[in-house]
Amino acid sequence: MKVLIANRGEIAIRVMRTCRELGLGTVAVYSDCDRGAPHVRYADEAYHIGPNEAIRSYLRIDAILDVARRSGADAVHPGYGFLAENPAFARAVAEAGLTFIGPPADAIALMGSKTAARQAAMRAGVPVVPGTETPLGDEVTDAAIAAIADPLGYPLLVKAVAGGGGKGMRTVSAPAELSGAIRAARSEAGSAFGDTSIYLERRLERPRHVEIQLLGDHHGTVLPFTERECSIQRRHQKVVEESPSAAVTPALRAEMAKCAAAVAGAVGYTNAGTIEFLLDADGRFYFLEMNTRLQVEHPITEMVTGVDLVEWQIRIARGERLTLDPARLLSPRGHAIECRVYAEDPDSRFMPSPGLVTGLRTPSGPGVRDDGGVAAGYEVPVFYDSLISKLVAWGEDRPRAIARMARALSEYEVLGVKTTIPFFQWLLAQSDFHDGRFDTTYLDRVLAARAERSFGEIGDATEDVAVIAVGLHAYLRAAAAGAGASALPSGWRQTARLEGLRSS
Amino acid sequence: MTFEIEINGRTRSVSVERIGETTGGAHQFRVSVDGRVRLVDARRVGASGLSVILPDCARASHDVGLAETARTGEWVVHLATGSLRAVVNGRRAARGGVDSSGSLDGEQRVVAPMPGRVVCVLVKPGDEVAPRQGLVVVEAMRMENELTSPKAGRVKDVQVAEGMSVEAGRVLMVIE
Repeated sequence: MKVLIANRGEIAIRVMRTCRELGLGTVAVYSDCDRGAPHVRYADEAYHIGPNEAIRSYLRIDAILDVARRSGADAVHPGYGFLAENPAFARAVAEAGLTFIGPPADAIALMGSKTAARQAAMRAGVPVVPGTETPLGDEVTDAAIAAIADPLGYPLLVKAVAGGGGKGMRTVSAPAELSGAIRAARSEAGSAFGDTSIYLERRLERPRHVEIQLLGDHHGTVLPFTERECSIQRRHQKVVEESPSAAVTPALRAEMAKCAAAVAGAVGYTNAGTIEFLLDADGRFYFLEMNTRLQVEHPITEMVTGVDLVEWQIRIARGERLTLDPARLLSPRGHAIECRVYAEDPDSRFMPSPGLVTGLRTPSGPGVRDDGGVAAGYEVPVFYDSLISKLVAWGEDRPRAIARMARALSEYEVLGVKTTIPFFQWLLAQSDFHDGRFDTTYLDRVLAARAERSFGEIGDATEDVAVIAVGLHAYLRAAAAGAGASALPSGWRQTARLEGLRSS
Repeated sequence: MTFEIEINGRTRSVSVERIGETTGGAHQFRVSVDGRVRLVDARRVGASGLSVILPDCARASHDVGLAETARTGEWVVHLATGSLRAVVNGRRAARGGVDSSGSLDGEQRVVAPMPGRVVCVLVKPGDEVAPRQGLVVVEAMRMENELTSPKAGRVKDVQVAEGMSVEAGRVLMVIE
């Protein structure tokens, strides 16, 4: 069996790793600028699918299916992003006689509509955030929407029906702001998703984002997993996740797991998916949406349950039965944390920092997992998401996992591009984070409060070391450049010679 | 050899002299930072690494990574506790770009740092803006990025509108 991975970067490699363990062949696809990318070099076979822009390469269903045909692939894994939640892709893969390693196209389409997903949750008896039940298309006037909004109460959220990740979403604190928010949300949703329909939702005060991973097979079994805590978000994007949540008791976990399985069961869901909930301070939870794909934060679930989710995606797609022990999935072993390492400059409002990675040293050792997608000598392109690695630390309990993550971050060295590593080092040192006292508004609030201070603040002693190191470096370069290799002290010359041998 | 090294806004005079070989391919150096002399045991490791042991303070061992940036003489220094930028002989080398002191005379062009789409224009011609005030939001690499004003001034010319696609280097507006 051969699997085509319709993706790039770290997730493509993540999927290929499991394929290799299972003895399955791997087929990579790449755009112009990704010719030298690690996912191409890792795969058994690799095929060019188009120019740099995703719309002309990684989003080209026809080009990807053509590669599947030429390579003789039997199955397609979409990863996340790109075509992962595009029902037309899942359908086209099936119609080409291939196995789609993911949920049925109908389930993707249904859950892609946020209002339809809310209705499905309500039918399954699962609480949803109070809001409108049907999409409000362009034909519904602002006045009509205001009449719907009044009984819901303010503050509320205007959200895109086709939305996700905070796109096409606006907060409205008072009735006067409603019209402007509707206009902005419709415009953003129209350009991002090609659908201007919106709906309204009451805005919960400082909720946590807690989600339940699940797997469903083709024989009617749906198994929920221990929750993931994803409240550390910057502008609605998760940046740190952990499992289990400090705010969830075993009783609450059982209740959330039951509700998640009920929603999935009600829509005939199969393969891997995630039900997202908002959890308020009183322990009440509400269905938010369903993600019909593997998620970026899936490794923390794997670390605390010992289950390879990608392996089970493949086995389910082959028609196998889920044979995992349900009790084990809800009894986490230890604690896991994930930091999403992006090529971004945290000191410049997290501006993307594409460019050549000139040096890379990744952390390892006990309890550390680095799902990376870049290498030294590789250029982070400007055309795609800037996620370069998911760094995961496991510990016997939460304090140990935090300490281990801090240790792993101190080992991580990325040269050439800026990364969010200094930001994570700062976050892990915050007492609110240590105490588990946070909600989805926490990070944006503390970031705003610390204003423009650099995350890379370094003590005087370390600064002295940096000055000395740069001086030595400048000396060695000048010595090498000025008088040729003969001016180099013998030890340096020997090192250079050894390197020459290694790279040849 | 003597260098002027600027780190964290401070420039220091650093003199380096090689004294002799130590062990395992390392050498001993006498390094003077603004007149304060230290003996240092150092060994290059790979193309970008430097292992530094400071014998005079409990043989403190430091693993240092160094990478050249696009600016002449500028290096990123990476240590376990974080990384910072250093400029070697900055006054002598021809330096382009923005003055790090933030005092910018004349018109400043705000350009797109990478290809993307203009999501939102936050100011209009004639607006007074403060340093680091948000001017325009450009979506690139699947993120919305707010470009900020390089100086206090007035918006002279807005050359883009919401929804427009822009190439890297495209002038978005001018601040005078």
